[in-house]
Amino acid sequence: MAHQIEVERLSKHYQVHEKEPGLAGSLRAFFARKYRVVKAVEAVSFNIDAGEMVGFLGPNGAGKTTTLKVLSGLLYPTSGRANVLGFTPHRRQNEYLKQFTLVMGQKQQLMWDLPPMETFLVNQAIYEVPRADFQAILKELDDLLELGPLLKKQVRKLSLGERMKCELAAALLHRPKVLFLDEPTIGLDVTMQARIRDFIAEYNRRHGATVILTSHYMADVTALCDRIIVIDKGRLLYDGNFRALIERVAPYKVLKLQFEQQPDLSALAQFGAVARADGLTAVLHVPRAHAADTAARLLSQIEVDDINFEEPAVEDIVRQVFAGKVDGLSPEVESA
Amino acid sequence: MARKYLALMRLSWGLSLEYRAEGFIWLMTNLFNVIMLLVWLSISQAGPVNGFSSADFVAYYMIGLIVRQLTAAWSSWELSFAISEGRLSPQLLRPIHPIHQEITVNWSEKVLRMILLLPIVVAVLILTPGVSLHVTPASLLAFAISVAGAWAIYFLADYCVGILAFWTTQATAFSNVLYGLKIVLGGILAPIQMFPPAIQSLLEWLPFKYMLAFSSEIALGQATGERLLFGLAAQWAWVLALWLLMRGLWRLGIRSYGAVGA
Repeated sequence: MAHQIEVERLSKHYQVHEKEPGLAGSLRAFFARKYRVVKAVEAVSFNIDAGEMVGFLGPNGAGKTTTLKVLSGLLYPTSGRANVLGFTPHRRQNEYLKQFTLVMGQKQQLMWDLPPMETFLVNQAIYEVPRADFQAILKELDDLLELGPLLKKQVRKLSLGERMKCELAAALLHRPKVLFLDEPTIGLDVTMQARIRDFIAEYNRRHGATVILTSHYMADVTALCDRIIVIDKGRLLYDGNFRALIERVAPYKVLKLQFEQQPDLSALAQFGAVARADGLTAVLHVPRAHAADTAARLLSQIEVDDINFEEPAVEDIVRQVFAGKVDGLSPEVESA
Repeated sequence: MARKYLALMRLSWGLSLEYRAEGFIWLMTNLFNVIMLLVWLSISQAGPVNGFSSADFVAYYMIGLIVRQLTAAWSSWELSFAISEGRLSPQLLRPIHPIHQEITVNWSEKVLRMILLLPIVVAVLILTPGVSLHVTPASLLAFAISVAGAWAIYFLADYCVGILAFWTTQATAFSNVLYGLKIVLGGILAPIQMFPPAIQSLLEWLPFKYMLAFSSEIALGQATGERLLFGLAAQWAWVLALWLLMRGLWRLGIRSYGAVGA
Protein backbone atom coordinates (compact mmCIF):
# COMPACT_ATOMS: atom_id res chain seq x y z
CA MET A 1 0.00 0.00 0.00
CA ALA A 2 1.41 3.30 -1.08
CA HIS A 3 -0.32 5.62 1.39
CA GLN A 4 -1.77 5.12 4.84
CA ILE A 5 -5.03 6.81 3.88
CA GLU A 6 -6.28 6.65 0.32
CA VAL A 7 -9.49 8.29 -0.82
CA GLU A 8 -10.54 8.04 -4.43
CA ARG A 9 -13.52 9.87 -5.93
CA LEU A 10 -15.41 9.37 -2.69
CA SER A 11 -19.04 10.49 -2.66
CA LYS A 12 -21.72 10.41 -0.01
CA HIS A 13 -25.24 11.47 -0.90
CA TYR A 14 -28.11 11.65 1.56
CA GLN A 15 -31.74 11.50 0.72
CA VAL A 16 -33.65 13.92 2.88
CA HIS A 17 -37.33 14.69 2.84
CA GLU A 18 -38.59 18.19 3.06
CA LYS A 19 -41.58 19.45 4.94
CA GLU A 20 -43.25 22.81 4.79
CA PRO A 21 -43.83 24.24 8.25
CA GLY A 22 -47.22 23.96 9.89
CA LEU A 23 -50.13 21.56 9.82
CA ALA A 24 -50.83 21.86 6.10
CA GLY A 25 -47.18 21.13 5.44
CA SER A 26 -47.32 18.07 7.66
CA LEU A 27 -50.35 16.73 5.82
CA ARG A 28 -48.78 17.33 2.45
CA ALA A 29 -45.57 15.65 3.61
CA PHE A 30 -47.58 12.68 4.86
CA PHE A 31 -49.28 12.00 1.54
CA ALA A 32 -46.64 13.11 -0.92
CA ARG A 33 -43.17 13.20 0.47
CA LYS A 34 -40.77 15.42 -1.36
CA TYR A 35 -37.29 14.00 -1.44
CA ARG A 36 -34.12 15.82 -2.21
CA VAL A 37 -30.65 14.41 -2.59
CA VAL A 38 -27.95 16.21 -0.65
CA LYS A 39 -24.48 15.69 -1.99
CA ALA A 40 -22.55 15.90 1.27
CA VAL A 41 -19.33 14.71 -0.32
CA GLU A 42 -18.80 14.65 -4.06
CA ALA A 43 -15.92 12.86 -5.80
CA VAL A 44 -13.27 13.80 -3.28
CA SER A 45 -9.79 12.30 -3.68
CA PHE A 46 -6.67 12.61 -1.56
CA ASN A 47 -3.89 10.54 -0.06
CA ILE A 48 -2.27 10.91 3.33
CA ASP A 49 0.97 9.33 4.50
CA ALA A 50 1.82 7.94 7.89
CA GLY A 51 2.64 10.59 10.46
CA GLU A 52 1.15 13.50 8.51
CA MET A 53 -1.02 16.12 10.20
CA VAL A 54 -3.63 17.41 7.82
CA GLY A 55 -6.18 20.14 8.47
CA PHE A 56 -9.64 19.91 6.95
CA LEU A 57 -11.04 23.36 6.32
CA GLY A 58 -14.46 24.32 5.14
CA PRO A 59 -17.56 26.20 6.27
CA ASN A 60 -20.40 24.45 8.11
CA GLY A 61 -21.95 21.74 6.00
CA ALA A 62 -18.96 21.53 3.70
CA GLY A 63 -18.61 17.77 4.07
CA LYS A 64 -15.67 17.60 6.48
CA THR A 65 -17.42 15.60 9.17
CA THR A 66 -19.13 13.35 6.62
CA THR A 67 -15.73 12.51 5.15
CA LEU A 68 -14.38 11.64 8.60
CA LYS A 69 -17.45 9.49 9.31
CA VAL A 70 -16.92 7.57 6.08
CA LEU A 71 -13.25 7.07 6.95
CA SER A 72 -14.31 5.83 10.41
CA GLY A 73 -16.72 3.32 8.92
CA LEU A 74 -19.81 4.97 10.40
CA LEU A 75 -21.22 5.77 6.98
CA TYR A 76 -21.39 3.75 3.79
CA PRO A 77 -20.02 5.74 0.88
CA THR A 78 -22.44 6.23 -2.02
CA SER A 79 -19.62 5.70 -4.48
CA GLY A 80 -15.88 5.84 -4.68
CA ARG A 81 -13.26 4.15 -2.58
CA ALA A 82 -11.65 4.70 0.79
CA ASN A 83 -8.79 2.73 2.25
CA VAL A 84 -7.20 3.33 5.64
CA LEU A 85 -4.33 1.19 6.92
CA GLY A 86 -5.21 -1.34 4.24
CA PHE A 87 -8.82 -1.66 5.43
CA THR A 88 -12.08 -0.67 3.83
CA PRO A 89 -13.58 1.42 6.64
CA HIS A 90 -17.29 0.60 6.23
CA ARG A 91 -16.60 -3.11 6.67
CA ARG A 92 -15.73 -2.23 10.27
CA GLN A 93 -13.45 -5.16 10.96
CA ASN A 94 -12.27 -5.30 14.56
CA GLU A 95 -8.62 -5.19 13.47
CA TYR A 96 -9.35 -1.85 11.82
CA LEU A 97 -11.42 -0.43 14.68
CA LYS A 98 -8.51 -1.11 17.04
CA GLN A 99 -6.13 1.07 15.05
CA PHE A 100 -7.82 4.40 14.72
CA THR A 101 -9.91 6.75 16.77
CA LEU A 102 -12.53 9.38 16.03
CA VAL A 103 -12.99 12.20 18.49
CA MET A 104 -16.05 14.33 17.96
CA GLY A 105 -16.08 17.55 19.95
CA GLN A 106 -19.85 17.44 20.10
CA LYS A 107 -20.37 13.73 20.75
CA GLN A 108 -19.09 11.81 23.68
CA GLN A 109 -18.23 8.23 24.44
CA LEU A 110 -17.76 8.66 28.21
CA MET A 111 -20.61 7.31 30.29
CA TRP A 112 -22.43 10.39 31.52
CA ASP A 113 -23.28 9.19 35.02
CA LEU A 114 -20.06 7.36 35.87
CA PRO A 115 -16.50 8.59 36.42
CA PRO A 116 -14.23 8.57 33.30
CA MET A 117 -12.08 5.82 34.80
CA GLU A 118 -15.00 3.38 34.36
CA THR A 119 -15.08 4.04 30.63
CA PHE A 120 -11.28 3.78 30.50
CA LEU A 121 -11.34 0.32 32.10
CA VAL A 122 -14.03 -0.88 29.72
CA ASN A 123 -12.01 0.39 26.78
CA GLN A 124 -8.96 -1.40 28.11
CA ALA A 125 -10.87 -4.69 28.03
CA ILE A 126 -12.64 -4.09 24.74
CA TYR A 127 -9.51 -3.00 22.90
CA GLU A 128 -7.59 -5.78 24.64
CA VAL A 129 -4.84 -3.51 25.97
CA PRO A 130 -2.52 -5.48 28.29
CA ARG A 131 -2.56 -4.21 31.87
CA ALA A 132 1.06 -3.02 31.88
CA ASP A 133 0.59 -1.11 28.61
CA PHE A 134 -2.63 0.38 29.92
CA GLN A 135 -0.87 1.68 33.04
CA ALA A 136 1.94 3.17 30.98
CA ILE A 137 -0.39 4.80 28.46
CA LEU A 138 -2.61 6.17 31.21
CA LYS A 139 0.41 7.60 32.99
CA GLU A 140 1.61 9.29 29.84
CA LEU A 141 -1.83 10.76 29.14
CA ASP A 142 -2.02 11.88 32.74
CA ASP A 143 1.34 13.67 32.42
CA LEU A 144 0.32 15.42 29.23
CA LEU A 145 -3.27 16.26 30.13
CA GLU A 146 -3.20 16.36 33.96
CA LEU A 147 -6.15 14.04 34.36
CA GLY A 148 -5.40 13.02 37.95
CA PRO A 149 -8.26 14.52 39.96
CA LEU A 150 -10.77 14.14 37.12
CA LEU A 151 -10.69 10.38 36.78
CA LYS A 152 -12.89 9.64 39.75
CA LYS A 153 -15.44 12.42 39.31
CA GLN A 154 -18.76 11.77 37.61
CA VAL A 155 -18.53 12.84 33.96
CA ARG A 156 -21.59 15.05 34.22
CA LYS A 157 -19.87 17.06 36.94
CA LEU A 158 -16.80 17.83 34.80
CA SER A 159 -16.43 21.15 33.00
CA LEU A 160 -16.45 21.13 29.21
CA GLY A 161 -12.68 21.44 29.05
CA GLU A 162 -12.13 18.71 31.64
CA ARG A 163 -14.51 16.45 29.79
CA MET A 164 -12.73 17.03 26.49
CA LYS A 165 -9.42 16.08 28.07
CA CYS A 166 -10.97 12.84 29.32
CA GLU A 167 -12.62 12.21 25.96
CA LEU A 168 -9.25 12.52 24.25
CA ALA A 169 -7.67 10.19 26.79
CA ALA A 170 -10.45 7.61 26.37
CA ALA A 171 -9.98 7.79 22.62
CA LEU A 172 -6.24 7.21 22.83
CA LEU A 173 -5.98 4.38 25.37
CA HIS A 174 -5.62 1.79 22.62
CA ARG A 175 -2.82 3.89 21.11
CA PRO A 176 -4.36 4.35 17.66
CA LYS A 177 -2.17 4.94 14.63
CA VAL A 178 -4.68 7.23 12.97
CA LEU A 179 -6.56 10.04 14.70
CA PHE A 180 -9.65 11.65 13.20
CA LEU A 181 -10.34 14.76 15.25
CA ASP A 182 -13.58 16.55 14.48
CA GLU A 183 -13.68 19.94 16.18
CA PRO A 184 -11.76 18.73 19.23
CA THR A 185 -11.53 22.26 20.67
CA ILE A 186 -15.08 23.42 20.07
CA GLY A 187 -16.50 25.51 22.87
CA LEU A 188 -13.23 25.58 24.82
CA ASP A 189 -11.56 28.74 26.06
CA VAL A 190 -8.33 29.94 24.47
CA THR A 191 -6.07 28.45 27.14
CA MET A 192 -7.69 25.05 26.96
CA GLN A 193 -7.62 25.18 23.15
CA ALA A 194 -3.89 25.74 23.31
CA ARG A 195 -3.48 22.87 25.80
CA ILE A 196 -5.33 20.44 23.54
CA ARG A 197 -3.40 21.69 20.52
CA ASP A 198 -0.03 21.19 22.24
CA PHE A 199 -1.14 17.74 23.31
CA ILE A 200 -2.05 16.72 19.77
CA ALA A 201 1.28 17.98 18.44
CA GLU A 202 3.16 16.14 21.18
CA TYR A 203 1.21 12.94 20.58
CA ASN A 204 1.99 13.09 16.87
CA ARG A 205 5.67 13.73 17.58
CA ARG A 206 6.02 10.90 20.11
CA HIS A 207 4.05 8.20 18.35
CA GLY A 208 4.17 9.20 14.70
CA ALA A 209 0.38 9.08 14.57
CA THR A 210 -1.41 10.34 11.50
CA VAL A 211 -3.86 13.14 12.28
CA ILE A 212 -6.75 14.57 10.32
CA LEU A 213 -8.14 17.60 12.10
CA THR A 214 -11.19 19.71 11.42
CA SER A 215 -11.65 22.93 13.27
CA HIS A 216 -13.41 26.22 13.04
CA TYR A 217 -10.56 27.78 14.93
CA MET A 218 -7.97 28.69 12.38
CA ALA A 219 -5.33 28.79 15.11
CA ASP A 220 -5.69 25.03 15.59
CA VAL A 221 -4.96 24.41 11.96
CA THR A 222 -2.14 26.93 11.56
CA ALA A 223 -0.41 25.62 14.68
CA LEU A 224 -0.65 21.94 13.79
CA CYS A 225 -0.91 21.35 10.09
CA ASP A 226 1.53 22.01 7.28
CA ARG A 227 -0.93 20.60 4.84
CA ILE A 228 -4.56 21.56 4.45
CA ILE A 229 -7.44 20.22 2.46
CA VAL A 230 -10.16 22.74 1.73
CA ILE A 231 -13.65 21.40 1.09
CA ASP A 232 -16.81 23.28 0.29
CA LYS A 233 -20.23 21.99 -0.76
CA GLY A 234 -18.78 18.48 -0.80
CA ARG A 235 -16.06 19.32 -3.30
CA LEU A 236 -12.35 19.52 -2.80
CA LEU A 237 -11.10 23.04 -3.48
CA TYR A 238 -7.49 22.83 -2.43
CA ASP A 239 -5.07 20.21 -1.21
CA GLY A 240 -1.55 21.19 -0.45
CA ASN A 241 0.86 23.16 1.63
CA PHE A 242 -0.68 25.80 3.84
CA ARG A 243 2.12 28.36 3.34
CA ALA A 244 2.00 27.85 -0.43
CA LEU A 245 -1.71 28.64 -0.39
CA ILE A 246 -1.16 31.77 1.63
CA GLU A 247 1.57 32.99 -0.67
CA ARG A 248 -0.59 32.29 -3.66
CA VAL A 249 -3.78 33.89 -2.43
CA ALA A 250 -2.05 36.67 -0.56
CA PRO A 251 1.29 37.39 -2.21
CA TYR A 252 1.78 40.33 0.13
CA LYS A 253 2.56 41.13 3.72
CA VAL A 254 0.50 43.45 5.79
CA LEU A 255 2.36 46.58 6.84
CA LYS A 256 0.77 48.43 9.74
CA LEU A 257 1.83 52.01 10.25
CA GLN A 258 1.28 54.51 13.03
CA PHE A 259 1.99 58.21 12.41
CA GLU A 260 2.47 61.25 14.57
CA GLN A 261 0.72 63.44 12.07
CA GLN A 262 -1.66 62.78 9.21
CA PRO A 263 0.37 61.28 6.31
CA ASP A 264 0.04 62.11 2.65
CA LEU A 265 -1.94 59.24 1.14
CA SER A 266 -0.57 59.60 -2.35
CA ALA A 267 2.93 59.41 -0.91
CA LEU A 268 2.00 56.17 0.85
CA ALA A 269 0.54 54.60 -2.29
CA GLN A 270 3.95 54.37 -3.96
CA PHE A 271 5.04 51.82 -1.36
CA GLY A 272 2.11 49.43 -1.74
CA ALA A 273 -1.65 49.10 -2.01
CA VAL A 274 -3.37 51.13 0.69
CA ALA A 275 -5.85 48.77 2.30
CA ARG A 276 -6.97 51.19 4.96
CA ALA A 277 -6.06 54.67 6.06
CA ASP A 278 -7.85 56.58 8.78
CA GLY A 279 -6.32 59.43 10.69
CA LEU A 280 -3.01 58.44 12.15
CA THR A 281 -3.00 54.78 11.15
CA ALA A 282 -2.67 53.08 7.78
CA VAL A 283 -2.48 49.53 6.49
CA LEU A 284 -0.52 48.71 3.34
CA HIS A 285 -0.27 45.50 1.35
CA VAL A 286 3.35 45.16 0.30
CA PRO A 287 4.60 42.51 -2.14
CA ARG A 288 6.21 39.70 -0.19
CA ALA A 289 9.47 39.70 -2.11
CA HIS A 290 10.11 43.39 -1.51
CA ALA A 291 8.78 43.68 2.01
CA ALA A 292 12.06 44.50 3.74
CA ASP A 293 13.46 47.08 1.33
CA THR A 294 10.04 48.70 0.89
CA ALA A 295 9.91 49.21 4.64
CA ALA A 296 13.42 50.63 4.64
CA ARG A 297 12.55 53.06 1.83
CA LEU A 298 9.38 54.09 3.56
CA LEU A 299 11.13 54.78 6.84
CA SER A 300 13.70 56.95 5.11
CA GLN A 301 11.03 59.08 3.38
CA ILE A 302 8.12 59.35 5.79
CA GLU A 303 7.99 60.21 9.47
CA VAL A 304 6.63 57.08 11.17
CA ASP A 305 5.83 56.55 14.83
CA ASP A 306 5.52 52.78 14.71
CA ILE A 307 5.86 50.15 12.00
CA ASN A 308 4.78 46.52 12.06
CA PHE A 309 4.74 43.63 9.61
CA GLU A 310 2.04 40.98 9.83
CA GLU A 311 0.96 37.94 7.87
CA PRO A 312 -2.42 38.30 6.19
CA ALA A 313 -5.23 36.94 8.37
CA VAL A 314 -5.72 33.28 7.56
CA GLU A 315 -9.48 33.65 7.91
CA ASP A 316 -9.49 36.19 5.08
CA ILE A 317 -7.47 33.90 2.87
CA VAL A 318 -9.68 30.91 3.45
CA ARG A 319 -12.76 33.03 2.92
CA GLN A 320 -11.36 34.00 -0.49
CA VAL A 321 -10.82 30.34 -1.33
CA PHE A 322 -14.38 29.49 -0.31
CA ALA A 323 -15.77 32.38 -2.28
CA GLY A 324 -14.17 30.89 -5.39
CA LYS A 325 -12.11 34.04 -5.87
CA VAL A 326 -8.94 32.04 -6.27
CA ASP A 327 -8.55 30.67 -9.76
CA GLY A 328 -6.47 27.81 -10.92
CA LEU A 329 -6.54 25.78 -7.72
CA SER A 330 -6.38 22.31 -9.12
CA PRO A 331 -6.33 19.92 -6.22
CA GLU A 332 -6.02 16.79 -8.32
CA VAL A 333 -2.53 17.82 -9.35
CA GLU A 334 -1.09 17.83 -5.86
CA SER A 335 -2.84 14.77 -4.54
CA ALA A 336 -2.05 12.64 -7.59
CA MET B 1 -14.62 -12.24 25.18
CA ALA B 2 -15.04 -13.29 28.81
CA ARG B 3 -12.81 -10.41 29.92
CA LYS B 4 -14.74 -7.97 27.73
CA TYR B 5 -18.01 -9.17 29.25
CA LEU B 6 -16.63 -8.85 32.74
CA ALA B 7 -15.65 -5.24 32.07
CA LEU B 8 -19.01 -4.44 30.50
CA MET B 9 -20.80 -6.13 33.41
CA ARG B 10 -18.83 -3.97 35.84
CA LEU B 11 -19.88 -0.86 33.99
CA SER B 12 -23.52 -1.92 33.72
CA TRP B 13 -23.63 -2.86 37.36
CA GLY B 14 -22.33 0.59 38.20
CA LEU B 15 -25.12 2.09 36.10
CA SER B 16 -27.75 -0.14 37.70
CA LEU B 17 -26.69 0.99 41.13
CA GLU B 18 -26.72 4.58 39.92
CA TYR B 19 -30.27 4.17 38.66
CA ARG B 20 -31.47 1.72 41.35
CA ALA B 21 -34.60 3.70 42.16
CA GLU B 22 -35.70 3.34 38.56
CA GLY B 23 -35.24 -0.43 38.77
CA PHE B 24 -37.54 -0.64 41.76
CA ILE B 25 -40.17 1.44 40.02
CA TRP B 26 -40.10 -0.90 37.02
CA LEU B 27 -40.75 -3.76 39.40
CA MET B 28 -44.14 -2.19 40.08
CA THR B 29 -45.22 -2.98 36.51
CA ASN B 30 -45.58 -6.54 37.77
CA LEU B 31 -48.71 -5.50 39.58
CA PHE B 32 -50.48 -6.76 36.47
CA ASN B 33 -49.38 -10.31 37.31
CA VAL B 34 -50.81 -9.92 40.79
CA ILE B 35 -54.08 -8.50 39.48
CA MET B 36 -54.51 -11.38 37.02
CA LEU B 37 -53.75 -13.80 39.83
CA LEU B 38 -56.53 -12.25 41.93
CA VAL B 39 -58.93 -12.44 39.00
CA TRP B 40 -58.22 -16.13 38.46
CA LEU B 41 -58.38 -16.84 42.19
CA SER B 42 -61.89 -15.46 42.37
CA ILE B 43 -62.91 -17.49 39.31
CA SER B 44 -61.41 -20.70 40.69
CA GLN B 45 -63.10 -20.37 44.09
CA ALA B 46 -65.98 -22.56 42.89
CA GLY B 47 -63.57 -25.28 41.77
CA PRO B 48 -60.63 -25.94 39.41
CA VAL B 49 -60.70 -24.16 36.02
CA ASN B 50 -59.38 -26.29 33.14
CA GLY B 51 -57.43 -28.35 35.68
CA PHE B 52 -56.03 -25.31 37.55
CA SER B 53 -56.82 -25.17 41.27
CA SER B 54 -56.46 -21.94 43.26
CA ALA B 55 -53.06 -23.15 44.53
CA ASP B 56 -52.01 -23.86 40.93
CA PHE B 57 -52.88 -20.30 39.94
CA VAL B 58 -50.78 -18.98 42.84
CA ALA B 59 -47.84 -21.17 41.81
CA TYR B 60 -48.28 -20.29 38.11
CA TYR B 61 -48.36 -16.54 38.64
CA MET B 62 -45.61 -16.48 41.26
CA ILE B 63 -43.24 -18.47 39.05
CA GLY B 64 -44.46 -16.32 36.16
CA LEU B 65 -43.42 -13.23 38.09
CA ILE B 66 -39.87 -14.53 38.40
CA VAL B 67 -39.71 -15.62 34.76
CA ARG B 68 -41.13 -12.32 33.59
CA GLN B 69 -38.56 -10.37 35.55
CA LEU B 70 -35.70 -12.58 34.39
CA THR B 71 -36.74 -12.28 30.75
CA ALA B 72 -37.72 -8.62 30.61
CA ALA B 73 -35.97 -6.66 27.84
CA TRP B 74 -36.23 -3.03 26.83
CA SER B 75 -33.13 -2.38 24.74
CA SER B 76 -35.23 -1.41 21.69
CA TRP B 77 -35.88 1.93 23.38
CA GLU B 78 -32.24 2.66 24.03
CA LEU B 79 -31.18 1.40 20.61
CA SER B 80 -33.77 3.32 18.62
CA PHE B 81 -32.99 6.57 20.43
CA ALA B 82 -29.28 5.95 19.95
CA ILE B 83 -29.85 5.45 16.24
CA SER B 84 -32.15 8.41 15.67
CA GLU B 85 -30.03 10.80 17.73
CA GLY B 86 -26.69 9.55 16.37
CA ARG B 87 -25.54 8.40 19.81
CA LEU B 88 -24.82 4.99 18.35
CA SER B 89 -21.69 6.35 16.64
CA PRO B 90 -19.28 6.03 19.60
CA GLN B 91 -20.49 2.47 20.14
CA LEU B 92 -19.95 1.58 16.49
CA LEU B 93 -16.36 2.74 16.72
CA ARG B 94 -15.51 0.12 19.33
CA PRO B 95 -14.38 -3.36 18.30
CA ILE B 96 -17.39 -5.03 19.91
CA HIS B 97 -20.99 -5.23 18.73
CA PRO B 98 -23.24 -2.73 20.59
CA ILE B 99 -25.63 -5.55 21.50
CA HIS B 100 -23.16 -6.83 24.10
CA GLN B 101 -23.37 -3.69 26.20
CA GLU B 102 -27.17 -3.91 26.08
CA ILE B 103 -26.99 -7.55 27.19
CA THR B 104 -24.89 -6.71 30.23
CA VAL B 105 -27.12 -3.77 31.13
CA ASN B 106 -30.06 -6.16 30.94
CA TRP B 107 -28.41 -8.75 33.16
CA SER B 108 -27.21 -6.40 35.83
CA GLU B 109 -30.67 -4.88 36.20
CA LYS B 110 -31.98 -8.37 36.92
CA VAL B 111 -29.65 -8.94 39.83
CA LEU B 112 -31.13 -5.96 41.65
CA ARG B 113 -34.71 -6.90 40.90
CA MET B 114 -34.22 -10.52 42.00
CA ILE B 115 -32.81 -9.40 45.32
CA LEU B 116 -36.11 -7.67 45.99
CA LEU B 117 -38.50 -10.09 44.33
CA LEU B 118 -37.21 -13.57 45.20
CA PRO B 119 -37.89 -13.44 48.98
CA ILE B 120 -41.49 -12.29 48.37
CA VAL B 121 -42.21 -15.03 45.84
CA VAL B 122 -40.64 -17.75 47.99
CA ALA B 123 -42.63 -16.60 51.02
CA VAL B 124 -45.92 -16.63 49.09
CA LEU B 125 -45.21 -20.11 47.69
CA ILE B 126 -44.41 -21.49 51.14
CA LEU B 127 -47.33 -19.84 52.92
CA THR B 128 -49.99 -20.83 50.36
CA PRO B 129 -51.45 -24.23 51.25
CA GLY B 130 -51.60 -26.85 48.51
CA VAL B 131 -48.89 -25.42 46.25
CA SER B 132 -46.95 -28.21 44.60
CA LEU B 133 -43.96 -27.59 42.36
CA HIS B 134 -42.30 -30.17 40.17
CA VAL B 135 -38.74 -30.15 41.55
CA THR B 136 -36.28 -32.74 40.27
CA PRO B 137 -32.70 -32.20 39.03
CA ALA B 138 -33.94 -32.75 35.47
CA SER B 139 -36.87 -30.36 35.78
CA LEU B 140 -34.67 -27.70 37.38
CA LEU B 141 -32.25 -28.00 34.48
CA ALA B 142 -35.09 -27.85 31.96
CA PHE B 143 -36.50 -24.81 33.78
CA ALA B 144 -33.13 -23.05 33.65
CA ILE B 145 -32.70 -23.80 29.93
CA SER B 146 -36.22 -22.61 29.21
CA VAL B 147 -35.72 -19.35 31.12
CA ALA B 148 -32.49 -18.73 29.20
CA GLY B 149 -34.37 -19.44 25.97
CA ALA B 150 -37.27 -17.20 26.99
CA TRP B 151 -34.84 -14.40 27.76
CA ALA B 152 -33.05 -14.85 24.42
CA ILE B 153 -36.30 -14.88 22.39
CA TYR B 154 -37.68 -11.72 23.92
CA PHE B 155 -34.35 -9.91 24.03
CA LEU B 156 -33.61 -10.67 20.37
CA ALA B 157 -37.14 -9.86 19.20
CA ASP B 158 -36.98 -6.58 21.10
CA TYR B 159 -33.52 -5.79 19.71
CA CYS B 160 -34.83 -6.43 16.18
CA VAL B 161 -37.54 -3.86 16.88
CA GLY B 162 -34.84 -1.40 17.93
CA ILE B 163 -32.93 -2.04 14.70
CA LEU B 164 -36.00 -0.87 12.75
CA ALA B 165 -35.02 2.63 13.87
CA PHE B 166 -32.46 2.58 11.06
CA TRP B 167 -35.43 3.03 8.72
CA THR B 168 -38.21 4.56 10.79
CA THR B 169 -38.36 6.99 13.66
CA GLN B 170 -41.41 5.15 15.06
CA ALA B 171 -39.67 1.87 15.93
CA THR B 172 -40.69 1.96 19.60
CA ALA B 173 -44.35 1.68 18.57
CA PHE B 174 -43.53 -1.87 17.48
CA SER B 175 -42.00 -2.67 20.83
CA ASN B 176 -45.36 -1.94 22.43
CA VAL B 177 -46.97 -4.38 19.99
CA LEU B 178 -44.41 -7.03 20.91
CA TYR B 179 -45.01 -6.42 24.61
CA GLY B 180 -48.78 -6.68 24.12
CA LEU B 181 -48.43 -10.00 22.30
CA LYS B 182 -46.29 -11.32 25.15
CA ILE B 183 -48.90 -10.31 27.74
CA VAL B 184 -51.83 -11.84 25.84
CA LEU B 185 -50.29 -14.86 24.10
CA GLY B 186 -47.32 -15.43 26.42
CA GLY B 187 -49.38 -16.55 29.39
CA ILE B 188 -49.68 -13.46 31.59
CA LEU B 189 -53.30 -12.63 30.88
CA ALA B 190 -54.19 -16.31 31.30
CA PRO B 191 -52.34 -19.61 31.36
CA ILE B 192 -52.20 -21.14 27.86
CA GLN B 193 -54.48 -23.99 29.06
CA MET B 194 -57.35 -21.49 29.34
CA PHE B 195 -57.35 -20.90 25.55
CA PRO B 196 -59.46 -23.01 23.14
CA PRO B 197 -57.58 -26.16 22.02
CA ALA B 198 -57.16 -24.89 18.45
CA ILE B 199 -55.42 -21.73 19.67
CA GLN B 200 -53.35 -23.78 22.09
CA SER B 201 -51.95 -25.96 19.32
CA LEU B 202 -51.26 -22.89 17.18
CA LEU B 203 -49.36 -21.31 20.08
CA GLU B 204 -47.10 -24.37 20.23
CA TRP B 205 -45.54 -23.13 17.00
CA LEU B 206 -45.38 -19.40 17.72
CA PRO B 207 -42.66 -17.76 19.82
CA PHE B 208 -44.91 -16.03 22.40
CA LYS B 209 -45.59 -18.97 24.66
CA TYR B 210 -41.86 -19.59 24.87
CA MET B 211 -41.32 -16.07 26.17
CA LEU B 212 -42.92 -16.96 29.49
CA ALA B 213 -45.69 -19.57 29.96
CA PHE B 214 -43.57 -22.52 28.92
CA SER B 215 -41.15 -22.05 31.84
CA SER B 216 -44.00 -21.83 34.35
CA GLU B 217 -45.50 -25.01 32.90
CA ILE B 218 -42.19 -26.80 33.49
CA ALA B 219 -42.08 -25.63 37.09
CA LEU B 220 -45.63 -26.80 37.68
CA GLY B 221 -44.93 -30.21 36.15
CA GLN B 222 -47.35 -29.60 33.28
CA ALA B 223 -44.71 -29.93 30.59
CA THR B 224 -42.84 -33.21 30.89
CA GLY B 225 -41.53 -35.96 28.62
CA GLU B 226 -42.21 -35.47 24.94
CA ARG B 227 -44.10 -32.22 25.54
CA LEU B 228 -41.06 -30.82 27.33
CA LEU B 229 -38.63 -31.87 24.63
CA PHE B 230 -40.82 -30.50 21.84
CA GLY B 231 -41.15 -27.23 23.73
CA LEU B 232 -37.42 -26.84 24.28
CA ALA B 233 -36.70 -27.67 20.63
CA ALA B 234 -39.31 -25.19 19.39
CA GLN B 235 -38.07 -22.53 21.78
CA TRP B 236 -34.42 -22.80 20.78
CA ALA B 237 -35.35 -22.97 17.11
CA TRP B 238 -36.98 -19.57 17.65
CA VAL B 239 -33.84 -18.32 19.41
CA LEU B 240 -31.76 -19.33 16.43
CA ALA B 241 -34.24 -17.84 13.94
CA LEU B 242 -34.40 -14.52 15.78
CA TRP B 243 -30.62 -14.41 16.11
CA LEU B 244 -30.27 -14.83 12.36
CA LEU B 245 -32.98 -12.23 11.78
CA MET B 246 -31.20 -9.82 14.11
CA ARG B 247 -27.88 -10.25 12.28
CA GLY B 248 -29.51 -9.83 8.89
CA LEU B 249 -31.46 -6.73 9.90
CA TRP B 250 -28.37 -5.24 11.51
CA ARG B 251 -26.26 -5.75 8.43
CA LEU B 252 -28.87 -4.05 6.26
CA GLY B 253 -29.65 -1.32 8.76
CA ILE B 254 -26.09 -0.25 9.36
CA ARG B 255 -25.85 0.68 5.66
CA SER B 256 -28.51 3.29 6.06
CA TYR B 257 -27.19 4.63 9.36
CA GLY B 258 -26.98 8.39 9.09
CA ALA B 259 -24.66 9.06 12.06
CA VAL B 260 -26.55 12.31 12.51
CA GLY B 261 -25.27 15.15 14.62
CA ALA B 262 -21.84 16.64 14.48
